[in-house]
Amino acid sequence: MRLVALSRLVRLSLARERRGAFFSIFGVAMGVGALVFFLGLGLGVGRVIRERIFPTDAKLVDVVPPSVSLGSFLGGGKLDAVMVERLGALPDVEKVYRKMSVRAPAASRYDGDFFGRRLRMGVDVLAVGVEPGLVEGDVEPGSFVDPAPGEPIPGIVSTRLLEIYNSTFAPARKLPRLGPGMIVGFTFPVDFNRSYVAAPVAGPVIQSHVQVVGASERGLLAGVTIPLETAIRLNRELGQDTETYSGVTLVATSPAAVPALVAAVKDMGLEIDDQERRLAENVGAAVALTTSALALLSILICVLAAVNIAHALSASVRARAREIGVMQAVGASRADVRNIVLAEAAVVGVLGGLAGTVAALLLALAVDRLATGYLPQFPFKPESFFSFPWAVVVGGVALGLLAALAGAWFPSHRAAATDPARTLAG
Amino acid sequence: MIRARELVKQYRDGDGTEVRVLDGLSLDVEDGEFVAVVGPSGSGKSTLLHVLGGLDVHYQGEVEVAGVKLSGLKDKALARFRNQHVGFVFQSFHLIPNLSAVENVLMPSHFGPLTADVRKRAEALLDRVGLLSKKDRTPVRLSGGERQRVAIARALFTGPRVLLCDEPTGNLDAATGAGVISLFQELHREGLTLLAVTHEERMSAVAKRVLRLKEGRLVEESRPALAGGVS
Ligand SMILES: Nc1ncnc2c1ncn2[C@@H]1O[C@H](COP(=O)(O)OP(=O)(O)O)[C@@H](O)[C@H]1O
Ligand SMILES: [Mg+2]
Repeated sequence: MRLVALSRLVRLSLARERRGAFFSIFGVAMGVGALVFFLGLGLGVGRVIRERIFPTDAKLVDVVPPSVSLGSFLGGGKLDAVMVERLGALPDVEKVYRKMSVRAPAASRYDGDFFGRRLRMGVDVLAVGVEPGLVEGDVEPGSFVDPAPGEPIPGIVSTRLLEIYNSTFAPARKLPRLGPGMIVGFTFPVDFNRSYVAAPVAGPVIQSHVQVVGASERGLLAGVTIPLETAIRLNRELGQDTETYSGVTLVATSPAAVPALVAAVKDMGLEIDDQERRLAENVGAAVALTTSALALLSILICVLAAVNIAHALSASVRARAREIGVMQAVGASRADVRNIVLAEAAVVGVLGGLAGTVAALLLALAVDRLATGYLPQFPFKPESFFSFPWAVVVGGVALGLLAALAGAWFPSHRAAATDPARTLAG
Repeated sequence: MIRARELVKQYRDGDGTEVRVLDGLSLDVEDGEFVAVVGPSGSGKSTLLHVLGGLDVHYQGEVEVAGVKLSGLKDKALARFRNQHVGFVFQSFHLIPNLSAVENVLMPSHFGPLTADVRKRAEALLDRVGLLSKKDRTPVRLSGGERQRVAIARALFTGPRVLLCDEPTGNLDAATGAGVISLFQELHREGLTLLAVTHEERMSAVAKRVLRLKEGRLVEESRPALAGGVS
């Protein structure tokens, strides 16, 4: 049978069974729509977690000294220059970046103009020194180095800290929101070895200023990131340890090399700071699990839609037995009859799949609009909670088609088995 | 044109006993003949027609129609045979209710080889049966006689050499039936082979040869009624 003829006959019977066809299409659309919507939501939220809340770089490995030092037994565990050399010599290590925290509390007392508002407050801050190479993509070249005496210390703030400030702190205190570019140049006083909450170490109080030179994902979340040389110098002035590092960031040659690298680092008696990665994985897994459950539910709706189509088509085939007999009498083969019924279902499935997918996309758009307009600002609030890769959109329509064809399987075979001699008699 | 040998067809009736509806039936119809098969209701007339037209494959014996041997044909080939070589006319017309007259007539085109001007051909056939002006009407808006004319036009659509008619006037009143019968006579004069089964006198009266289906076989009917001669 030719396609033109097939499409004519399909249109004919769908036009007659308009009501039934509508409900069949609606059923498929419900299932497919729910599936596309939930998958899009799961993927979108997953993306927000991956890219904004825990933007872990898959090539980075954060090495820290073991919490309980067994260094003397294992011949390792102390992150000194020798150990850093050994880490750098591991296979698949592309770069090594040392970090050293300032080993004394620090406090900032601010009293003055803050982007057009008056701000008066005092807070404890943590300061960690990193090698400039780690953050070179986020600052002006040459701006992140140990300053000459009397010059302010260049500091980098975490982009995530900025996000939290912008979405909660700033609105609550009626302070202006700050973009990463706006804060460059902002200077605030920091007194090392002074604290509102912790006991100072034995040593002098060092008064200084920190000037923001950029914002970075690699910046310390709850503090300020300064050049490594500055941190070493401060520790020396404070009479603290300047030989061991508080952490080392390794850049692997590729994400695939990371597991072996992690194992090698652990063999050296060191630990990996993968808190964030694990948290990201846990949250990601929770989202994936929820998404899977909802997707399963949606597939169940699709199965119900298929059952509904099976019912509707069975009834329609029974009602059309005589008509099918007529078609057989004028030249329809059994395969023709079966194909007509399957094609009907295919049209229902594709229409339902399209309708459901479009409805899901529109609903997602509406949800995003409402979220932008009516939800209060919160940290990491994304522009869109959804992500619809092509595979999901095409898969939605394909699933509709599949569900409809599955539902049509038995009715189509029953129709093909129609005995014209019986239906045409009388 | 039609050749059947030793046809046997049996049904199992309600209490499980086998009923031989066709019991060694043989039949020969020449090209261009107009043959009527008569017999009371339930004698197996429709069954015979379905076997000859390739609608029924559960039988024993040999059938050849329009040069096609039906016994053992695959479903697809049998469907092509029905599409190309025979036309069916039924007692209750069997038009598709939500299709217009012209669309009913061109129904066979959906299952046959691609041909140009399908609609034009359907309209020409409707003109032939005197219904061109009603080509866009659905069956409910046609009288019984008109419906049967549409059905005849449909049976003629692919240009078959043989028309198989199952009580074609059974649902029509005398006057309308007469109109349909005279249409059959015209088709016969144009060279079509007609096999009509009927239990009605007025149909068999115009056939050139009348066969009676009796105990599963066909016997030649003597034709005293034909003495006057219609042709
Ligand atoms: N599908 C069937 N199952 C069982 N018996 C049938 C079936 N079709 C026809 N018959 C029987 O076969 C006999 C012949 O039927 P049919 O060919 O329709 O007769 P006619 O057309 O002469 O009235 C009848 O007795 C009928 O009951
Ligand atoms: Mg009958």
